[in-house]
Amino acid sequence: MSPPLPSRRGVLGSIGALAVAGSFGLAAANRSASAIASDADVRVRYWNLFSGGDGANMIAMLDSFRAANPRTDVKDSTLQWGNPYYTKLAMAAAGNRAPDLAVMHLGRIPGFAPGRLLDPWDVRLLAEYGVHEADFDPVLWKRAVVDGKLYGLPLDIHAQLCFYRRDVCEQAGLLGDDGELAQVTSPEEWFKALKAAKKAVKGNVHTIGIKADEPNFSWWFFLSFYTQLGGTCLSADGRDVTLDTDKATQVLEFLRRHLTDGYSTAIGIADGESFVNGSAFTWEGNWSVPVFSGAKLKYGATPLPPVFGKPATHTESHCFVLPHQSRRGGATDEGAHRLAAYVVKNATAWARGGHIPAYLPTLDDKKYLSLRPQSEYVSAMDHMAVEPPAWFAGSTGLLAQRIGPVIASSNVGSARPDATARRMRDVLEKLVAMKNPMEGSSATEGGSAA
Amino acid sequence: MSVLDTAVAPAAVRPSPATDVESPRTRLTRRLQHGGWFVAPFLVLFALFVLLPIGRGLWLSFTDANISGTGERFVGLDNYREAFGNPLMWDALGHSAYFTLLVVPCIVVLAFLLAMLAHHIERAKWLWRLCFFAPFLLPSTVAGNLWQWLFNPATGMINHVFGLDTPWLTQKSTALLAVVITTLWWTVGFSFLLFLAALQNIPDHLYEAAALDGANAWHRLVHITLPMLRNITGLVVTLQILASLQVFDQAVVMQDFGPGPEESTRTFVQYTLEEGFTAYRVGYASAISIIFFVLIAAVALGRMWLLRKREEGVR
Repeated sequence: MSPPLPSRRGVLGSIGALAVAGSFGLAAANRSASAIASDADVRVRYWNLFSGGDGANMIAMLDSFRAANPRTDVKDSTLQWGNPYYTKLAMAAAGNRAPDLAVMHLGRIPGFAPGRLLDPWDVRLLAEYGVHEADFDPVLWKRAVVDGKLYGLPLDIHAQLCFYRRDVCEQAGLLGDDGELAQVTSPEEWFKALKAAKKAVKGNVHTIGIKADEPNFSWWFFLSFYTQLGGTCLSADGRDVTLDTDKATQVLEFLRRHLTDGYSTAIGIADGESFVNGSAFTWEGNWSVPVFSGAKLKYGATPLPPVFGKPATHTESHCFVLPHQSRRGGATDEGAHRLAAYVVKNATAWARGGHIPAYLPTLDDKKYLSLRPQSEYVSAMDHMAVEPPAWFAGSTGLLAQRIGPVIASSNVGSARPDATARRMRDVLEKLVAMKNPMEGSSATEGGSAA
Repeated sequence: MSVLDTAVAPAAVRPSPATDVESPRTRLTRRLQHGGWFVAPFLVLFALFVLLPIGRGLWLSFTDANISGTGERFVGLDNYREAFGNPLMWDALGHSAYFTLLVVPCIVVLAFLLAMLAHHIERAKWLWRLCFFAPFLLPSTVAGNLWQWLFNPATGMINHVFGLDTPWLTQKSTALLAVVITTLWWTVGFSFLLFLAALQNIPDHLYEAAALDGANAWHRLVHITLPMLRNITGLVVTLQILASLQVFDQAVVMQDFGPGPEESTRTFVQYTLEEGFTAYRVGYASAISIIFFVLIAAVALGRMWLLRKREEGVR
């Protein structure tokens, strides 16, 4: 006989025993981790969706909060941006395991069952920590209020911008005497500028990147120019579609012309990289500021050009929310208020990521004013083009998911602009007809939750 | 001999009506006595993780439930009515069906050819098998990302090698095709393995006898190999149809979780995900899942029915 091998049963038994022992070990380790933090009085669990430069800035802000508030510990978790984040947040709130504080896009609040998945802010408590309504843009603050209660505490405004290379634009004669991009006020002027820029662009890159085939950006850019024309998507009560197909067609033709006139392309070339490699312009979110600054480019950034007269550029906002907890209150809740107020008030660090701070006093801060190109596009907050306040709207929401590809199909030329405008109306009508799953009612009608 | 035969084997054990004198009741008791406790752990898990969720999903499909899990109301057949009247659902179903139509024949032919190759090649057999099967071991995200790079119009290998200028993933005419190509490369290994096993199970004496009778290679292929592979081919086709209808991960990875150019790669599973986890319409998402479940079950049952008919034909 061969030497005794361990029996199958024995092996299985030991694996099981190891697994059990291991889980106890983990539990113990976990306990000791919370014990380390136990010299603090409260522990605020905080979820956010910031990675990259934003993530590093947020961590730096949390560290300075910890240093300033040794009695309050922060357990922060960074989750994957986009829909997976919102799903986790919704289910955590539904299952009563929500964190004490979280970050959300302002436009997603109406669809997030304020009152059921979100708890309102205690405005008096915020005031105690030095945050008042008067310190915010009134339009922004109003978007965060549902049924008279504040559900989101705005942290920033992030805008779609027209980035331009100073070196290329100077050669094309597009800079004013002050060295800034001379402003254009009509599509003709804009395309004339592009024509001049095209001659100055060197190398195998296009003149401007407009992310023609990217659904989210296509929707944001469309909304910017459509708002410049004075167009709206939904009636104030959110029940009727008010999309003006003539105006929409005008915008779609404008966007499409960038490709037909040979200034831009839609064949998967990364617009940001092209800009670094010499494109004159690129339309991008302000979060690309650290990328372009890191590449040591000579560049500037303005809100999207007001080609249809009235300036408007798409903006969305990050805000702090209180995910629903059945027993919200007490020291932990106060800690959440304290933390959110601190971060909102000390947002100069946040502005390094390109965002416009929502807390107005920050805008007068010398440190903020010295940030370039940040202070160049701060006017974007005076001309915000925002998504309609419906349950299906907001960053990466159902509206963007459904209407974005439709716009992109016109941009790249596989659908005619007028037909696309009609399809956009159709998409909106279908969405309005859908019941808000959180309310049992249609469209925006109720932020009023049970 | 093949997987298929083990699947139909219980039919042979079934007592013939002539010898079966037990009442159904005693038969049940006897079976429970012998096997009941052995299958109990499985049954418990099966009930907990399959039956219960299916039942709950069925119930939810008749409600307007949302993701918060509270306040669901019975709405009858509303969700189903909406689904059948919704062009988005039909589009998504169309994309999944079209994908299936492209993938299944290609994979069957390709897997068969690769299996023949690996079976007949004399040198470094293990290397061939490994090469053909290895991609199947990759997670879908890896396969999807890899091919996203290969299909990159500016820097990708495909355009470079073939001297093309095709924006594979960003135009409607090629986006789904790119997913098909990725899927072929990624999953052909599994069917290849089934074919290879079946090839190795064909007794040599059949070929020897045929060779003695003067059959050439072509005759042996057509009259021995192909008929002997009939069962396994049926299995491969069915498994591939079921897997292809459920296409999801590689498609969304390759399109960065979007619906593709002009929504041309939004598959049925992706549509369900959007409704359930972007729109939070859990009731409606359950209804379309049930519709999909019925469709897939019909394919599986259809195959069983065909098989039984064929068995009867043989008898």
